[in-house]
Amino acid sequence: MAATSGFRRLAIGGALFILVLYGGLIGSLVYYLDRGQFLETLGSQRTLYAIGLSLSAATLATLLAVIIAIPAAYALSRYRFRGREAVDTLLELPIIVSPAALGAMLLIFFTNPVGAWVQEHSVQFVFAFAGVVLAQFVTTVGIATRFIKAAIDEVPPRYEAVGRTLGASPARAFLSLTLPLAGRGILAATVLTWAKAMGEFGATITLAGTMAMRTETLPIAIFMHLASADIEGTVVLILILLGIGLGTLYGVRRLGRRGRRA
Amino acid sequence: MISRAGWVGVCKQIDRLVLTVLLVALSPAIAAGGTLLVYAGAAGKPPTEEAARRFEKETGIHVDLVFGGSGHVLSQMRLTRRGDLYFPGSSDYMEKAKRAGDVFPETERIVVYLVSAINVQAGNPKGIHGLEDLLRPGIRVAIANPEGVCVGSYAVEIIEGALTPEQRRRFRRNLVNYTASCSKTAAVVSLKAVDAVIGWRVFEFWDPERIETIPLEPGQVQRIGYIPIAISRFTRQRDTAQRFIDFLLSPRGRAIFARYCYFSTPQAAMAWVGADKPVGGEYLVPRAWLTPGDAR
Repeated sequence: MAATSGFRRLAIGGALFILVLYGGLIGSLVYYLDRGQFLETLGSQRTLYAIGLSLSAATLATLLAVIIAIPAAYALSRYRFRGREAVDTLLELPIIVSPAALGAMLLIFFTNPVGAWVQEHSVQFVFAFAGVVLAQFVTTVGIATRFIKAAIDEVPPRYEAVGRTLGASPARAFLSLTLPLAGRGILAATVLTWAKAMGEFGATITLAGTMAMRTETLPIAIFMHLASADIEGTVVLILILLGIGLGTLYGVRRLGRRGRRA
Repeated sequence: MISRAGWVGVCKQIDRLVLTVLLVALSPAIAAGGTLLVYAGAAGKPPTEEAARRFEKETGIHVDLVFGGSGHVLSQMRLTRRGDLYFPGSSDYMEKAKRAGDVFPETERIVVYLVSAINVQAGNPKGIHGLEDLLRPGIRVAIANPEGVCVGSYAVEIIEGALTPEQRRRFRRNLVNYTASCSKTAAVVSLKAVDAVIGWRVFEFWDPERIETIPLEPGQVQRIGYIPIAISRFTRQRDTAQRFIDFLLSPRGRAIFARYCYFSTPQAAMAWVGADKPVGGEYLVPRAWLTPGDAR
């Protein structure tokens, strides 16, 4: 009994440590918070544009990442094919090379003949909105695939086999059996991917630039305010990003829990 | 199962090991008499790194360099309340630092002088020979963000001073974006992401194989920039900080910057420009340039 309560205390202590750590960092922002400047910054056209740009780009990048990640994750989970090990290893590329390095790689790609051809025959990525979406997509698709693969791995392949014996095609078996059973994991992966995209900075600033009212996302706006030694403005934008990001995540999780109870 | 006494013994061993590693790692600094912390703008990065190495070799005093945008490193210095020297890429940020009391104003010295110029890809494939060529349809131009990067505010000052309103409109149509720093402004030319930037003349010497400098007309240059240095009010070793300033201004220090083709006197800078110009000061960037994305 004593061992159980001791272990429980240790585990909860770990969780509370995270609360104190992150809560402490957020609380320390109050030191530089100016209420008047907060309202002025929140209502400014520039900030509203950055919020809209961040939300739209992150949502679009997440949708694209999940659309690619689901079939990719299924293939990695269920099939053995040539190159599988390479794909599985490369999923962690954005984490290993860092977003700033990814941004440099993207910029280098678009300035060589192949990349230049792509831009000429599709859309402009360098210093454009499409570049913001692409930077966020590239930094999140590997992680999304990893998380969704973990969710699909939890679904026994036997269920699909049974479905096949009852006449379902592989696609039907996937859509009617595996996908719903992995649904919670896929939703969690989507939410985390969106959060990562919202906070993406290094690749975006390198590929898409820093122009306000064009490619300045909220994280970039935070950096630029710090770069002009405006600490109070930086704090305001951090709080706005925290409010939007954490508020959305919390709301999605609440909706998810309500959906399960229903 | 390890007993409590056993755990205490293990922890003591770990403490001794950590202390030993720390002492070995810090011994050069401890033996030599300390470390200087310098917050430096990226405009002088290549020669500053060499100067720091040379200073350490001559004096045994290690110099830690924190590079970044001049405003960014000023923010870092203010927030950490640590640091010995502030070495921004332009007078604009030194003026901010002096106004806020972040540096001892009487310790400010000018190290080198900077001149704005157009930087293009080596070989000048788009045939850009002056500011007016940046207005041609299809030319992709970038400048550093004038809100946080000094070379960007110099670029805006040139455009506002040298171009008519109609020409400024055409320029902004070709302006694809703002870069985040001095070094990124040079990098976008090296990587051929744009056809030209309005940067510093010295960018050519950072990457001579990929960057070419096109001088502006004398009347288009608004002022000569300079890289100043001053002692931070957070320093605890003012004398040692002063030694580094004295080294930079000595013939040995100046020779390092001269090798990277920075101007050591305002007269040399003006001779290159081809006219006398005001030196330093501060420029207030018009608000329209801070939110240019909606001005199409």
